Amino acid sequence: MSDQRQMDARYYQLLEQLQAIDFVLVELNLYLDTHPNDAQAIRQYNQHVQERWKLAQEFECHYGPLTHFGHSYSDAPWQWSEGPWPWEV
Amino acid sequence: MHPQIRAYRPYVSPFDPCPPQAVKTYVVPPNLFLGYQPPNLPQFPPLEALRHGVLWPILYSPYHGRGDRRETRDAE
Repeated sequence: MSDQRQMDARYYQLLEQLQAIDFVLVELNLYLDTHPNDAQAIRQYNQHVQERWKLAQEFECHYGPLTHFGHSYSDAPWQWSEGPWPWEV
Repeated sequence: MHPQIRAYRPYVSPFDPCPPQAVKTYVVPPNLFLGYQPPNLPQFPPLEALRHGVLWPILYSPYHGRGDRRETRDAE
């Protein structure tokens, strides 16, 4: 990545929120594996899925696709190969 | 010392070629005493959960790395 794009504060804010919500989802996922009948945890999980989806939408609108394999849209020109990569953030 | 960190005094051989470690510590993780996790436990908010590495405060086990060990050695 020779041309370094400067990312604004919102980029880091959204990315951190995504990271946090993904972590909560993983924790709830593991918890629900052993507590499949905990309706309240399932409700919380589904709420967080929705919230994550909204965050991801906003992020991808402004900063390009988060995931590959047809799970995200791209603007033109092709945004997947644009930095910063996760290890450059 | 944190209640999750316990210490013991190992046997010190009189022929120990190295300076002996009089006290050794080990960590007792909180999940050992919880059993089957009860539902509806209080949770960290998402950002704090990320910082702590766990969603439920009751399961949080601190880790301070080498600095922590040096501290216990200095306390001797």
